[in-house]
Amino acid sequence: MNYLARRLLTFPLILLGVSLLVFFSIRMIPGDAITAMLGTEAGLLTPVQRQALAAYFGIDQPVVVQYGRWLAGLLQGDLGISVTYGKPVLTVILERFPLTLELALLAMVIALGIGVPAGVLAATNNERSTDVVVRILAMLGQSTPGFVVGLVIIYVLSVYFGFVPAMGSFTPLWTDPLANLGQLIFPAVTLGFAFAASVTRISRSAMLDVLSDDYIRTARAKGVPGRSVVWHHALPNALIPVVTLSGVEFGYLLGGAVIVEQIFALPGLGRLTLDAIGQRDYALVQGCVLFVAFNFLIVNLLVDLAYAALDPRIRLGAR
Amino acid sequence: MQMKFTRTVLAGMAAMLLSTALALPAQAAELRMAWSQDATGLDPHTQTAFSSLRLLELIYEPLVRLDAKLDVVPAVAESWSFSDDGLTLTFKIDANAKFSDGAAVTSEDVKASFERLLDEATAAAARSNFLSISAIEAPDPATVVFTLSQPDAPILVAMATINAAVVPAKAIADGSIATATLGSGPFVLDQWDPNAKEVLSVNPNWAGGDIAYDGITISVLPDETAILASLRAGQTDFALLNDPLVATLVPNEPNLQLNAVPGLAYNVLQLNPSRAPMDNLKLRQAISCAVDRQDILDTALVGEGKVTGPLTMPAYASDPSTLFCYEQDLEKAKALMAESGVDGFTAKVIAATGEPPVASAEAQVLQSQLAEIGITLEIELMELNVYVDRWLAGDFDMAVALNGGRPDPYPMYNRYFTKEGNLVKVSNFTDDEIDSLLQQGRVETDIAKRKEIFQKFEARLAELSPWIWLSTSNLYTAQLKTVSGFESSATGTLFGVTKITLAQ
Amino acid sequence: MRIVRDIAAHPTGRVGAAIILLYLLLALCGALGLTPHDPLQQFRIDRLQAPSATYWMGTDLFGRDTASRLMIGIGHSFIIAFASVGLATLFGTLIGLLAGWWGGLADGLFMRAMDVLLAFPAILLALLIIAVTGPGTFTSIAAIAIVYTPIFARVVRGPTLSLKRRDFVDAARTFGSSQRYILSRHLLLNLVAPLTVQVTLALAWALLTEAGLSFLGLGTQPPAPSLGLMMSEARNLMQQAPWLLVFPGLTIMLGILGFNLCGDALRDILDPRTQRRTA
Repeated sequence: MNYLARRLLTFPLILLGVSLLVFFSIRMIPGDAITAMLGTEAGLLTPVQRQALAAYFGIDQPVVVQYGRWLAGLLQGDLGISVTYGKPVLTVILERFPLTLELALLAMVIALGIGVPAGVLAATNNERSTDVVVRILAMLGQSTPGFVVGLVIIYVLSVYFGFVPAMGSFTPLWTDPLANLGQLIFPAVTLGFAFAASVTRISRSAMLDVLSDDYIRTARAKGVPGRSVVWHHALPNALIPVVTLSGVEFGYLLGGAVIVEQIFALPGLGRLTLDAIGQRDYALVQGCVLFVAFNFLIVNLLVDLAYAALDPRIRLGAR
Repeated sequence: MQMKFTRTVLAGMAAMLLSTALALPAQAAELRMAWSQDATGLDPHTQTAFSSLRLLELIYEPLVRLDAKLDVVPAVAESWSFSDDGLTLTFKIDANAKFSDGAAVTSEDVKASFERLLDEATAAAARSNFLSISAIEAPDPATVVFTLSQPDAPILVAMATINAAVVPAKAIADGSIATATLGSGPFVLDQWDPNAKEVLSVNPNWAGGDIAYDGITISVLPDETAILASLRAGQTDFALLNDPLVATLVPNEPNLQLNAVPGLAYNVLQLNPSRAPMDNLKLRQAISCAVDRQDILDTALVGEGKVTGPLTMPAYASDPSTLFCYEQDLEKAKALMAESGVDGFTAKVIAATGEPPVASAEAQVLQSQLAEIGITLEIELMELNVYVDRWLAGDFDMAVALNGGRPDPYPMYNRYFTKEGNLVKVSNFTDDEIDSLLQQGRVETDIAKRKEIFQKFEARLAELSPWIWLSTSNLYTAQLKTVSGFESSATGTLFGVTKITLAQ
Repeated sequence: MRIVRDIAAHPTGRVGAAIILLYLLLALCGALGLTPHDPLQQFRIDRLQAPSATYWMGTDLFGRDTASRLMIGIGHSFIIAFASVGLATLFGTLIGLLAGWWGGLADGLFMRAMDVLLAFPAILLALLIIAVTGPGTFTSIAAIAIVYTPIFARVVRGPTLSLKRRDFVDAARTFGSSQRYILSRHLLLNLVAPLTVQVTLALAWALLTEAGLSFLGLGTQPPAPSLGLMMSEARNLMQQAPWLLVFPGLTIMLGILGFNLCGDALRDILDPRTQRRTA
């Protein structure tokens, strides 16, 4: 409890750091909302016109003043208005978030569903043929760039099956579950591909570590059956690094999968942020990054709590 | 085994999804469209991005528009006339023209629209094309009279763009233009999710005739390979393509048709004559002679486009082979190089990532060609916005660009090459003769004489080589073969979708 | 030297080491100009040629030889991967060790700083860094290094915390070992296994991140060949010229396979418990 409270207290501090970093760095990128909207035609504007647009985009004040204003708004729960979407930033983000969340969950289910059993299988068959096959598959999976997997999936689907997942707009799970799944399953496989491979490697490696630990050898010596040793004694401890890895990875996926969203034309958080950077929609970039950071912190907190729950040797917050 | 399993699962999955798609109730006839870049805003007077214009052209109408042959034809105005001294331009408004809420388009709407355009607070980039307008009057609801401060032949063509759209006076008064659309065009925008999709329905009040379907949904698919896949799978009826590498794959597909039309925009290597040694005429000419334009076209654009001089509109363009050094001539290039006294140098060339898609490839071919005469190019690829920023500031040695074209030479080049042009700081180049030719062309109303003037202008510009004009690009749309009737235009407008019929 | 012998004796380590040595050799040949063709020369008559006796791996859109470009590209991608992971390992390990060992305020401060970086999605963080400074080799290295530093810090801090409380560290303390000795000897030895795994994974990630950045047009600048850039340039040519995607793709996969095999072998060899068991 004490630990939890102390952790939660650090969140505003981290978020402040994140906001400072993003606020000033995006303004250091050459070009602004005016050139983003007008392109080279921006050169035709008279100084009066330029001033009018700067006021419209809220970039006519010194950066520090802009930050102060934005921070003041934030404290009242106002992330500002996106100039591209003409809506409050939070509204825009929350429209895109369900897709990202579902995609991340699906990818994680795929990764853990394949990765953990495969890792355990490989570790318990150490150096035998099963192990070698699993390791080779895992390595190949990990060595393939996500965009290649995605492009190949789209190519194979469209050429051989005359089908592509619905692109452009998102069908929420609650409107049409089947259409929703049809839309997300292939992007999720693309994301889960490499993710499953890392989970496999980490599970195997952790499992091998644990299996060579004294207490496992003791359990074995005491005559606990092999299967029980593996699943009841070894796995919970071996899961510690798996939890860390999946937590970090899931936290990242919640930030949106830029490349996969690009290839499958999904309107998720990753593309939202990327487009916002391209259009110099500063309020939206800040909102997105802050939102993603907040989620990431929460996920990490949960990971650490799980870490403590799984490894009795760690007491959180103890000196 | 594993392979077979995967394929079975995939086939099953695909079949399952297809069957759900087929099980949907019969829907109203709808044109499913896709493009890779979305509109950036809804105000027709301030939006200049290609993608915004393509959307707004379906919703709003200007007084006049250009047809496929680039001739001026009626839109909101049914007729127009210049006075003999060229100082008065009078429009008669089509009595059937109505906004989508049913209200008639009146001369007050036209007046209010142009007053808004000319107001600096509106920040309309197109304002610079209308500075010769000294007064706008609306003597009766069907008549608008523009008084000009000097004869301005290109002004009619300048009005034939959606940046001079007629918007309702009441929308100007209540300030709703940037957030809501109310136009007199063929479609009404029902829904817009920026960077995801648009939903349009047919405007029943449109004066331009009947449309053979009920509406359009536009999906934004940022990856053009995905657009092709979606077309191939029959999930998109009609798509806009930018990348020639993707477009050239379309004809291989039995169910698809590619429409290609040479655009007015030109690919160009902009030299910066304010920086040494590009200030040296002989050196610039040496570069022009060293460049093999056909080779760049064949390699970087996979042959899609045409070698062009400065003028790209068929009505004014000269045969490129008559222009200075349009055939690669390395001997001459080396001789000019020797004359210039410049002995090999390194220059940085800027290019935008993916805008146009062939920019990086063009830069790489140019790099290899210019190496032949001892010029080393260093390529700096950057994000579009960063590029625009550098480009506008004239902060480059050389720049690979795709600059927009106009149906008329004057508005196309006055911004760069007249002394008071807004973009002289980009071209960093003026010349008395060029300046005077542009001025003459502007006030001359006789077509044949204008043609003569602009041919001189083009030849002189090519010879002075402030920029190395390379080629036009093709504008592409791709469609299922079940779609017919679309008319392409060199301006890139998608207005031709109003003629589309969908076979079932 | 013993490590080299051990890897050579390790069944999979041998394969991995062979791949990496081969790659290093190819990169060296490339650097010395010993390529079948000039990697930058455009034989424009021979555009998009399929693999042949002249062009072993075909030619690209400009008629450049893919095989020669791959040799240079390996060098380029390796430099980015090694440099960025090297930096990330150095700073990440340092931060993680100090945070885990000192605990308290230092731990809080270091790890919060890492949290700020970690809270950004990797590609977006790299993208922001590159957007601000402009793309290029050094920017790519810096961006990838910054992205992965927090991961190393976390990976090292966890086991440090855990190891710090294990009996053998306490035992060492009671026997009067100095703090520095404990740190360097026990902790580092016990961290080698997870770190090695992490470094090999990170080398793979770095190659993949570089490819991803290039895919978004933010990596190495043309005409310099890098594996990621070659793949992204080949993207829209997938149908006409599949070799342009296949060969760089296989080169990346094989390279990463090499790192992974070596990493696994090193892990087996360096893990103190494995040693204890086999001794």
